[in-house]
Amino acid sequence: MKKLLISILIITSSISFANVKAVATLTIIYDLVKNIGKDKVEVNYLCRGNQDPHFLEVMPSYMLKLRNADLVFEIGLDLEKWLPQLIDGSRNNNIQIVDLSQDIEKKEVPTTKMDARYGDVHPYGNPHYYLDPLDVKIMAKEVLDALSTQDPGNAIYYEKNYNDYMKLFDAKITEWGKKMAKAKGTPIVFFHSSWVYFAEQYGIKIAGYVEPKPGIPPTPSHNAEVINLIKKGGIKLIVMENYYSDAAPNQIAQITGVKVLKVPVGLYGTEGIDSYFKMMDYIVDQIVSNS
Amino acid sequence: MHKYIIVTSLLLISFLNIKAQSNVNPDISLIGTFNSTMDFTKGSPEKGKLNFEMPEMELFVDGYLNPYARATGNIAYENGEFSVEELYANIVRGLPLDAQIKAGKYLVGFGQLNIVHPHAWAFIGRPLFHQIYFGPEGFNDIGFNFSFIVPTETFYTNLDLGIFKGDAIGNSELEEPTQEEIANHRGRSPIFVGRLGTFFSLSDYSNLGVGLDGSYGVHAKVDINTSGDTTAALVNKSLNYAYVGLDFKYKYRPDDYTALTIQGEGIFNHRDVMRADNFGINSPVQEIKTINTYGVFISIDYLFEKMYDFGLKYDYTNGIVGDEPGYNTLSNDDQNSTQGLTAWFGYYPIEHTLAFRLNVGNLFYHYADGTSRDNSTLVTLQMIFSLGPHKAHPF
Repeated sequence: MKKLLISILIITSSISFANVKAVATLTIIYDLVKNIGKDKVEVNYLCRGNQDPHFLEVMPSYMLKLRNADLVFEIGLDLEKWLPQLIDGSRNNNIQIVDLSQDIEKKEVPTTKMDARYGDVHPYGNPHYYLDPLDVKIMAKEVLDALSTQDPGNAIYYEKNYNDYMKLFDAKITEWGKKMAKAKGTPIVFFHSSWVYFAEQYGIKIAGYVEPKPGIPPTPSHNAEVINLIKKGGIKLIVMENYYSDAAPNQIAQITGVKVLKVPVGLYGTEGIDSYFKMMDYIVDQIVSNS
Repeated sequence: MHKYIIVTSLLLISFLNIKAQSNVNPDISLIGTFNSTMDFTKGSPEKGKLNFEMPEMELFVDGYLNPYARATGNIAYENGEFSVEELYANIVRGLPLDAQIKAGKYLVGFGQLNIVHPHAWAFIGRPLFHQIYFGPEGFNDIGFNFSFIVPTETFYTNLDLGIFKGDAIGNSELEEPTQEEIANHRGRSPIFVGRLGTFFSLSDYSNLGVGLDGSYGVHAKVDINTSGDTTAALVNKSLNYAYVGLDFKYKYRPDDYTALTIQGEGIFNHRDVMRADNFGINSPVQEIKTINTYGVFISIDYLFEKMYDFGLKYDYTNGIVGDEPGYNTLSNDDQNSTQGLTAWFGYYPIEHTLAFRLNVGNLFYHYADGTSRDNSTLVTLQMIFSLGPHKAHPF
């Protein structure tokens, strides 16, 4: 009898009562879906916060997450090149792909023919818009629309959650804006070209990149150029994502005395960073206090 | 003629690539491989000679045919000849039971390594038992494969069942099984291949894939003289085989720059072979015997700083690698064996696009009759380039 009860408990605990099953390619999207969908949406993510979203290995465990999903939310702009393979492998015939970049004002859209000599350039524009909180608000609206379309019976519920979350979001945007005002105009060397949206939002000057071209590993000759740039420009900071190797930035720091900030640009990859608010708090506080 | 058709096709693909809208174009990529080898085998006429091999090329064309299916073509240029390495369509969604169907010519899913193209392996050179039991190009065959997901909720399990022509299996008897008389029965006696594969996520950073593989069918049909009398009628016999394989791949990847991969595969071969053990009235008496042989490999590869790796591979197989195909050799050989020890160092300066590899391969031969043969040592320096879009790396 006891065994039967335990079996029933195990079976019932594995049954999901969520109205919508969703998968987010990145943890930042996962956070949005969780805050808007709450208990009506079961959501999973694929790329952890300390993984490079450009390169994700095609693993069957990801296919399993997608297998029964109704929706998959993606950043788009060719960031998740691995997603079609995962969806094919999931055998999910009904999954809807929601591209969150639809209403984003894209930056760095190539105007001429691009090829590999320019590095790993995204042909539809820079996909790292999620580092600008105002763009994340646009993403949140896309999430709301997709959930409401998928589960119209709970549209009001999702809208209420969205409005509640956006109130908090607006307050944080104001807070981040005030803090970042102190760093306005600060020249920063970034590791990868993923900070263009963030920099424009907060008036940060992108002085250069540690990567010689997007996606191309640092080279000694380019490091020398960066060292000159830092010395001449009086630059105090190198900011980089926590999934990149800090070997080259640290070498540059040893020579120039520049501070290297390794920050999370996703959730669940750094201890204590489990929401977009905490992630942005961390980035903003680190940049402001070291500018 | 065949060569001209392929060259014309290549030109046509290039033309379409220029003319067509880029968003409806298939992905086209070109892989080039250059090998320079030096043989250190004692007594070899090639010993100490730096051999610049003819570059090899693979041209991949891949894309969606429609919302339900993909198609792939792979034209290879090896040893101065063009050939169609793969040409298949894969229905990936829309079928009952969430099945997928793959049809055409392609690398068969027996084990985890065979379906990966050699340029994506960490080491140079096909595992020895692949060469013995599948032929120099691996298990590449023509047929249908039906793939299903087994409803195991917490881990991914897939079941593949396929029916194939069997050319790869015929490689043991003949170098060109497709063009020889003995291949006539192909189609009347197709072979069957099955695989049950499971994938476990052990943690955020470590994963394990394991598989059980099987293949069964007729590997040859022969007319044998069972009496040892040349005037007697020959008896037609089917030679059956059954392969059972086990495979695993473990990968520990703590970050994007480091990975430890341990991979192993094994095969058990239960096979009818033709033997001529006794002398009859005026010729040898031929009979069918059953042999049991096996082969294994295990490799370990360590990637560091994202652009360097080194590793080791050990191989054992029944049969002598490099033997001419025949009824007593390769997968029909239960007397002799070959062992291999391979070490490599790789440098990948920019992911996906360039690779340089230094590979040292040693082969050790064992003959049951005491025949002495020096071990062979081959050092290979390889450069691979990849031009065009490339798919995400599979586990």
